[in-house]
Formats: sequence, C-alpha cells, structure tokens
Amino acid sequence: MILIHCPYCDEKRPEIEFANAGQAHVARPLDPSSQSDEEWEAYLFIRANPRGRHHERWRHVHGCGRFFNAVRDTVTDKFETTYKAGEPRR
Amino acid sequence: MSDVLIRNEPVPSTPFIAEGVTISLAAPQNRYSLRARTAQTLETLLNVKVPKKIGATEGGIACLGPDEWLLRAEVSATIPSGAGLPVAITDISDRSICLVVEGPRAAELLMTGCPLNLDNFVVGRATRTIYETVEIIIIRDDEDRFHVEVWRSFAAWLWAAFTAAASH
Repeated sequence: MILIHCPYCDEKRPEIEFANAGQAHVARPLDPSSQSDEEWEAYLFIRANPRGRHHERWRHVHGCGRFFNAVRDTVTDKFETTYKAGEPRR
Repeated sequence: MSDVLIRNEPVPSTPFIAEGVTISLAAPQNRYSLRARTAQTLETLLNVKVPKKIGATEGGIACLGPDEWLLRAEVSATIPSGAGLPVAITDISDRSICLVVEGPRAAELLMTGCPLNLDNFVVGRATRTIYETVEIIIIRDDEDRFHVEVWRSFAAWLWAAFTAAASH
C-alpha cells in the first residue's frame, strides 16, 4: 500500500484514506461571460495527460477531509511531494 | 401513540466476549460537530480548552481536521448554539454509535481491517480513518481500550466484521 503524506495532518497515511480529485491548478476564469466557447471548453474539459510528473488534487477524505495538491509520477505512481491547497505550484 | 420512545440500536446490547477482546455498545451520548477557522473561536464560545493539533483530544473534544472538531458529552449536556459567531455547531448525536473495543487484543482486532499502525497510536489520540470500506473514528481511550465511532447504518456490518475477526 502506498503511503501519502497529508500536509494538514503532517504524517504519512495509507492510500485507501485518500481520493484523487483530478488535475491541480486549473483556475476558473474570473469573468466567464467574456470567454469564447473554445476557451470555456478548454477550462471545463481539456486536461493534461502527461507521462511522468503530474500535478494533482487529492483529498484526505477518510481523515481530515481536506483537499491538497500533490506531484505524482504517472509512470511509477511515486508521490514526489504534497503541499497545501493555495500554495504555489512546485 | 406510545409515551415512551424506545431506542432501537443496530447492534446487540450484550457485549461480545472473545479471547483477549471484548466488543460492546457504549451508552448513548451527545455528539456535536464543531466547525470554525480557529480553535480560539471555539474556546471563546465553549470556555474550555480546544486541541489545536489534528489527532489530539482534550476533555471530550477531538480535533479531526484543521477546521473540524468532534465533541462528545453526556446525554444531559447542552452547548451554546454559537449564533452570531463564525462557527457551525451541529448536533450529530444520533448519526453514529460508539463501539468499545477493549482487551489486550483490541489493537490487533482493529488492525485486521484498518490500515493504520495502531501500535504507534498513543493514548488520547483520535482520528477518522477507514475499516475495510466503512469510515470510522478511532479514539484511543486507554492502552487496551478503543472507542470506535461509526455511522448507524454501517454499525450492523461493522459489528459482524468485528465479531468475526475476534473469533479467529
């Protein structure tokens, strides 16, 4: 079982307590009505699908309940780092 | 209509006794979910010490997350509503029941389905976690005694899983 470091609990916890919540750092446009259909489509649906280093949101759902960001390698499934939501991209 | 409301529990009221471990239903108690941005806000409201570290407990209050606490108290206890303050206080008394797992094999029993290493789980610690597929809150009351808070609808299954594991 993979152990994931929760930046809020500040300890490594078993993977089964966590839920993946998709790509991280996808900012909602501040003024949606100014967006073209293509820009809005890109915001809603278009996601990176890298082979390797990937920024993801995770939630410690069966724990402290908080969302946080993680950098995970999609090939090895190894977590490089995790950090609190709102902190700059690493 | 009956004058007396009969409490209907999802698990047997008689304790299950196996070698080295006893599983029993705890007496009903009041539970409150306390949400606030800071522990200080709750301390001002409740006039008691509120733990600040996730996992810590203090006088019946367990810190479950950075903005979430669980208060367990006597059935007769009342607490202020927090009206006007930036807090959310919710009565969740009947959402869950508490199973008491005690005996020298208590930690071993919980670890049959819980992925945490409870040998490193100090007395007085509390955390939300998972047993097989059921979300539970574990509170280590004593070296050989754990309180397991579980939602009522999952309790019958958890009881069956605990008693089966305890018989092995």
